Amino acid sequence: MLSGVTGVVVLMAAIPLLFVIYSSLQLSAVRWVGLWDTRLPDLLANTVWLGLVVAVGCLVLGLSSAWLIARRQFAGRTLAIWLMVLPLAIPTYVFAYIYTSLLSDEGWLGLAWQALFGDSVSIPDIYTGWGAAFILSLAGFSYVFLLARTSLLQSSPSMEEAARMQGATSLEVFWRVQLPLLRPALAAALAVVVLHVLSDFGAVSMLQYQTFTLSIYMQMEGRMDNQAAAGLSLVLVAMSLMFLVLERFFRNRQRYFSHSRARKFQAKKASGHELLLIWACLGLIALFSFLLPLMWVLHWSWQAWSADLIGTEFWGYTRNSLLLGFIAATVTVVVALPVALYHSRVRSWLSTCYLHLSSIGFVLPGPVVALGVITFVLTQMPLLYGGIAVLLMALVVRFLPLAVQSQEAALQQLTPSIEQAGRVLGAGPLENLWRVTLPMIRGGMVTAWVLVFIDVIKELPATLILRPIGYDTLPVRIWIESSEEMLELAAPAALMLILGTLPALWIMMRAERAR
Amino acid sequence: MNILKKLGISLLGVLMAMPAVQAADGELVVYSGRSDKFVKPVIKEFTKETGIKVILHSAKSTALLNKLKVEGERTQADLYLSNDAGNLQLGGQMGLFQPLPQNVVDVIDPTLRAADNSWVGLSARARVLVANSEVDTSFVKSVFDLADPRLQGRIAVTHSGNGSFIAGVTVYMEAAGVEKTREWLKGVKENAAGRTFDKHSKVVKAVASGKRAVGLVNHYYIYRHLDEKPNAPLKVIVPDQGDGEMGVAWNVAGIGISKYSQKSAAAVKFVEYLVSEKGQQLFAEVNREYPARKGVASSAEIPAANTIRAASVSMEALGKQRNATIDLLEAVGMP
Repeated sequence: MLSGVTGVVVLMAAIPLLFVIYSSLQLSAVRWVGLWDTRLPDLLANTVWLGLVVAVGCLVLGLSSAWLIARRQFAGRTLAIWLMVLPLAIPTYVFAYIYTSLLSDEGWLGLAWQALFGDSVSIPDIYTGWGAAFILSLAGFSYVFLLARTSLLQSSPSMEEAARMQGATSLEVFWRVQLPLLRPALAAALAVVVLHVLSDFGAVSMLQYQTFTLSIYMQMEGRMDNQAAAGLSLVLVAMSLMFLVLERFFRNRQRYFSHSRARKFQAKKASGHELLLIWACLGLIALFSFLLPLMWVLHWSWQAWSADLIGTEFWGYTRNSLLLGFIAATVTVVVALPVALYHSRVRSWLSTCYLHLSSIGFVLPGPVVALGVITFVLTQMPLLYGGIAVLLMALVVRFLPLAVQSQEAALQQLTPSIEQAGRVLGAGPLENLWRVTLPMIRGGMVTAWVLVFIDVIKELPATLILRPIGYDTLPVRIWIESSEEMLELAAPAALMLILGTLPALWIMMRAERAR
Repeated sequence: MNILKKLGISLLGVLMAMPAVQAADGELVVYSGRSDKFVKPVIKEFTKETGIKVILHSAKSTALLNKLKVEGERTQADLYLSNDAGNLQLGGQMGLFQPLPQNVVDVIDPTLRAADNSWVGLSARARVLVANSEVDTSFVKSVFDLADPRLQGRIAVTHSGNGSFIAGVTVYMEAAGVEKTREWLKGVKENAAGRTFDKHSKVVKAVASGKRAVGLVNHYYIYRHLDEKPNAPLKVIVPDQGDGEMGVAWNVAGIGISKYSQKSAAAVKFVEYLVSEKGQQLFAEVNREYPARKGVASSAEIPAANTIRAASVSMEALGKQRNATIDLLEAVGMP
């Protein structure tokens, strides 16, 4: 039965893919060659490069901060945890927007740079690949931080102590014991990061860095050519599938639970020296990833407030965003559960297939998913059209992999013995699920809910197309106002977005601490 | 779990209490590719006069056209408003609009509307050059001068996916021929030195700061910048005005009524208002564009319409030739 339910879920998630395949089939060979000749190799190279660099960037930032926070006790540790997680509240396009503004000649960073270096050294140009990588790393490292920290907190000290007793140095302990134990968490986090990079449009379009997704958008924009866009999307899907398969390979067949759950890690108290170093490191990361953007948003929101530009409709947009996020996150987590369960209990090629198929929605560019869903609804369930159900469907399809990954990572760390004990004591499979498994992976479910919630309220392209008439969300307003350079109007919406994610993040942190 | 439940319920309660911004029946729905800020003033006045409410559904023009096409009969759109004649023409060709009454469209210049009355232009914009007044740009008199080797690394253009850019290139192709335009594009690519701008406002900024000498923009962006910074060293060059030259490239923002609209009468009233003198003033003036209606004066700051010669390329061509333009852009490999 589990496989049946999972199958249905995956089928729904695959609707955009079916649409893409169908449209691509209508592309003639000549057009394919044409597409290939013009720009594809460059786009491929750019996209792969960006994915790699951002993965490394997020790994460095996320792992270092997670290690410092999990392994050392120091003053203000809770604050540090928050600061590392808060960047998730800022959409990538807002990051890009803020930094292009900050680094312009009159921006705070631009002025600071000129004060320090004078006119001789020009301000670093953010409109490059490195600029895009910088922005996307800042926006994505929190995923690595979260999952790495959870893993570090849960690892039993016995393995490390055993290694030390055998004479390993600190570095060796890190490299040969801690890192391999961290592998599933890091792999899951990097999967999320790279998928975000592959599908990102807002930041790369603002920075004019030609990735695949940008090109797909241009095809749809410039030519209204859905078929070419579908063809390119197919290539994008293939790329991400390859990546996901590779990522799975790194995680494959390992069991990461440890039997003795008696002892948790005791973090060492940081010495005065270390305290300074830790805060210097974390402070720098927090400055660029959250504090600077926050100050910018507050500054321009204040300008808007003083200029009396915020009306009652603004609260309506906020409500729309939050409500949408709430419903979409709940539905997605529920729908993702069978897929995660199926894969972690039954490791067959079918379950792996299902897992990968459910990720497709995330990689496909927003407009493509939107068109696929519209076409499906219009042909199969026309009565639903025009309401919020269409948008919800698209959002669920798009963010399913986030929920699946988080819940699956949690399930992987469960010892099977407790569930088996439940069955032995006479509980049926559903009862066992409800009373034993779900409470134990509560943390993973909450994380999944929060991640989807945050991504839904930040989502732009699909919402732009599928939203019911009059149902504008905050990102839609940011887009509308910023398209005419209305900084003062975009900033309050960005601020609301950040404030709106705070409760969600708080819930997630609570669930973590409750363990 | 207890506190989470409480949190969840209170959150839902708060959300339900907040005012909803949603569409109601009896309101006109406009799929708008034009920035809200420039449509709201005229809508406000229209609602005041007629009592008909209008809801703007904003997104990019092309995405909205796509949506109209896919939705077919189930569309809730009554009107489609776009800043680009190319999109309007495409929409007309695809049969997405119903014809407007002749008496409504007659007040607009025939070159600024569809021949079959499927759409009508509301305001026009000129594709001009903006130059930094502190740099010597006396040799720049035509759009084709952007390819001049003297301007290597000194020009600012938007990326080639930009609707106005595409429309401009279409005009050049029609007026000066494909080969000349191809050579020009190669020169521009060379002179842009790998860096394009995603917005026209950034082009103007780059020119004003001195980082670039000349930029290609729609005329109103220059005045928007001057609003913020009246002392910016900017100079407007209206290109190709000499005898025998092609004239400046022109594009028009316009509107069409959706074929499946259930409220055609109200929609026609709206279009009537937009082409009336008052509506034209509100619509065009707020963005300093040229009103499409004959006899309505444009804003005093911009060069008067009768002092500018426009290229004699019909707005319909902008739609019909669009794919050919994109083919050319891709063949040259424009960023």
